[in-house]
Amino acid sequence: MQKQIQQQIERIMAKGATYVDARWYPLDETSSLTMWNGNLKSAHTNRESGIGVRVLYQGAWGFCASSETSDLAVVFEKALENARAAAERVTFPVRLAEKDSIQASFESPCRVDPFGVPLTERVAFLSRLDELMAQAGVEQRMASMDLMRKQIIFLDSEGSQIEKRITEVFGGLRVSGRDAQGGMQVRTFRLNRRGETRGWESFDPDFFAQQAERIVRELNELRTAENCPKEDRSVILLPGIMFLQTHETIGHALELDRILGYELAFAGGSFVTLDDFGKLRYGSEKLTARADGTLINSPGSFGYDDDGVPTQNTVLIDRGILVGAITGRQMVEEANARAHRTIFNGSGGANRATAFYRVPIERMTNINIDPGQDGTLEDIVQATERGIILDGDRSWSIGSNREQFHFATEIGWMVEDGRVTGVVKNATYKGATVPFWNSLSAVGDASTWSVQFVDNCGKGQPNQIMQLGHGVPVCRFDNVRIGE
Amino acid sequence: MKDNILHLLQTLRAYAVEKGYLVSVIYHEEDSSLMRFANSAVSLNTNEHIIRLGVEAYDGRRRAEYSMITGLDDLDEMKRGIDLAVEMAHHAQPLGYDMTIPVFKQDFADESAFDPALAAMSSEERLAFFNQAVAGLEEEELLLSGIFSSGVNIWAQINTLSEHTQYFQTTDAQISVVLAHRQLKWEVTAEQSAQQKADLNPEALRRELAFLVRCYKEQPAMQLPLGTYDIVLGQAAVADLLSTMNWIGFSGGAYKRGFSFLSEEQVGQKVFSEQFTLVDDPNRRETFPFRFDFMGMERQPFPLVQKGVFQGFMWMQDDADEFGMKPTGHTVPARSLVMAGGDVPVATVEELARMPRERDVLYIPFLHYMNIVNPSQGVVTASSRFGALLLKRDGSIAVPYNVRLTQSLLDLFGERVAWVSSVTAPYNTSSSYGERNPTAVIVPMFMQVNGLEISHSNSSY
Repeated sequence: MQKQIQQQIERIMAKGATYVDARWYPLDETSSLTMWNGNLKSAHTNRESGIGVRVLYQGAWGFCASSETSDLAVVFEKALENARAAAERVTFPVRLAEKDSIQASFESPCRVDPFGVPLTERVAFLSRLDELMAQAGVEQRMASMDLMRKQIIFLDSEGSQIEKRITEVFGGLRVSGRDAQGGMQVRTFRLNRRGETRGWESFDPDFFAQQAERIVRELNELRTAENCPKEDRSVILLPGIMFLQTHETIGHALELDRILGYELAFAGGSFVTLDDFGKLRYGSEKLTARADGTLINSPGSFGYDDDGVPTQNTVLIDRGILVGAITGRQMVEEANARAHRTIFNGSGGANRATAFYRVPIERMTNINIDPGQDGTLEDIVQATERGIILDGDRSWSIGSNREQFHFATEIGWMVEDGRVTGVVKNATYKGATVPFWNSLSAVGDASTWSVQFVDNCGKGQPNQIMQLGHGVPVCRFDNVRIGE
Repeated sequence: MKDNILHLLQTLRAYAVEKGYLVSVIYHEEDSSLMRFANSAVSLNTNEHIIRLGVEAYDGRRRAEYSMITGLDDLDEMKRGIDLAVEMAHHAQPLGYDMTIPVFKQDFADESAFDPALAAMSSEERLAFFNQAVAGLEEEELLLSGIFSSGVNIWAQINTLSEHTQYFQTTDAQISVVLAHRQLKWEVTAEQSAQQKADLNPEALRRELAFLVRCYKEQPAMQLPLGTYDIVLGQAAVADLLSTMNWIGFSGGAYKRGFSFLSEEQVGQKVFSEQFTLVDDPNRRETFPFRFDFMGMERQPFPLVQKGVFQGFMWMQDDADEFGMKPTGHTVPARSLVMAGGDVPVATVEELARMPRERDVLYIPFLHYMNIVNPSQGVVTASSRFGALLLKRDGSIAVPYNVRLTQSLLDLFGERVAWVSSVTAPYNTSSSYGERNPTAVIVPMFMQVNGLEISHSNSSY
């Protein structure tokens, strides 16, 4: 098959294309189980295979995908035809940053193949957790498990040939129950990075049981809690909401295609301009953020992106100053040219597609915040006069240029004079991105840092769902409006 | 094509029957094209032709599903998929209730929402449409973005309980045209939904864009003070709110699980404004409707709200089975929501701007990134986007920076509704997550709601 693909690439290049690549997915499989109140509501396996072809012709992209691989010439020809049509309206001819020709392979770290575990065993795992969560106060309980595996073979007209085998595991628990006013309260647990591999070994029954017990206990605290007050306070974000803050107001805001206006039709733009790199004080000096695709064991670490560029560890914000972005080959060339200076030294290796039938676009890798020197969670709480600890994402809404946001969380713990005084429900907070990050007043040490997995990041048209990670510590921000 | 698909389904059914299986088979085929624009260029031009086969297998109270992307002639792989679904069901855990398996009592085929002319549109035609829609409007700093997404969508079904089949074929197009200022970062948009080629009207898009661009270029921009405003919501904003309401308001399953702001006690009660009437009407072709649901139940217009009075919940089959309710024909990939027009004959933004007014009115055409803050209270939050205007009482216009609304749907569609436009049109709410599945909501062009609070106001574009 690879030989046939290579022949097609050469054939299309001979017709005037300046670049061609193909991603052949011999296998892309997901297996999902959802148990809701003891009912196995969904036991679903999906399997797909096919090829996606990108052609660059006179500075314009054409793309075509098909699950039918018996006649590759049709797919390649259609991609060329689409590029020719697109070339009728070009304002900035696409150029691709230099990269090495690479022959390589990548396999995500997995000790026990989760697809090798019998369905009955997987169901039994969820069933036990369901039973554990069936306690007083819990009206709805859900346990879920999502497994993914992909084999992707990438070839391009520059001589690269890369094979990737990626296995992902996601799992979660959720309980909900009504408070005294009839409002539904929710508490959730999501499986995150545990150790250096992610396979069936991630589904540790004892660990999940502890989490089930914790979220049930916290739910029952919420059911009798007071409402979150509407006022200004310090907010202390635990990793269960800090990852989302990072995702929405650093990650998406620093995708270079958004900055350059390539997502304006749908997802939106970014308040960041090319002039801002090297100058903008994005956050306080306590903030250092990076796009680290080299982190061991995360969905945001995938070896090579879908441009064939190795993943990298790129600093985005250095002690508060904006210095980098999430980038692929096309956008760095365009950004440097538009800025009339070299902002980016080559691709950051972050161009990815969710499936063979989608085109690669800039996606987050692991967008991480470096641990700080403000101690443990307990240390931060003790140093807080009037605050609230927040955890769990219940809703999120962000301005179209990522300039402002509103998050609802699952649970809040009020802090007065360095002590936790009680739980509050319906806790929300909001802010404007740059002032908010500049109000960062404490960053927890390594003991507070954990890698949160994200399995459902949406972007692009046609829309693409991507998996990635966020390594984040506990952080405190001052003078934040809560309770709206 | 239809005959080939139905023949395939009969072949798969025969295989399953011979093996003694109890299965349903769903065939989904999309032929999608998307031309995407950014920075005044075609940034992407794609085609995807994808065939998906879903198999749901039943074994007593056990069930499981296997789906695949496949080729029409790959019969062996499809049979393997059936075997795997049956194997999975065998190992699944029994449900705590009896489930209903679809029985199709007749053959049903609906191609009334399929237009060969729209299906055959070429890249060149899509590009010409866009060129016409922005003719004379682009400038060096005012750049074109947008999409022209169109395609053919086919659903077909069979199961082992009868030889009858259901077949649905539609064409659809979703067009968004955005003009955005590169430096200042303001952006305006005009959108269109089409079921047939004759629905396409680039000149209407151009007129709307021209008016908005003129406002944004010539009128002063301002940060709105926080506080309460009388707000006119545009078609996109109303459609987005209704889609959210469909999710956390009218679903019987969501209600039973505690995630609805409506309750059984409110059925027959006046909950919303008398000016609010909403029906799920599968007879409206512009909504890409399903006239039978996926359980084989014929769908009729289903009133949800009649002059503010809540009429009742929609019950999908599985929710109905679990909670002991009667299904209402809502086991469908998409509903056909139609909000009735009111009595104010205003069809365009230009007409809206010319309307006499006693107080300043904030026009919000589009709500960006709506999310549900509290489903029990129906509280949602979102930001304005794409061409908001402050229509001042003296007839002048200012351009506000974007603002955030955090409100209950009960307020947005409740007694604060001042007036509703008598002109309605389809608004395309399709999501391209995963697979093509066209949906549209028919909504009034404008709805004014008084006394809504703005909780955040940007200090720049």
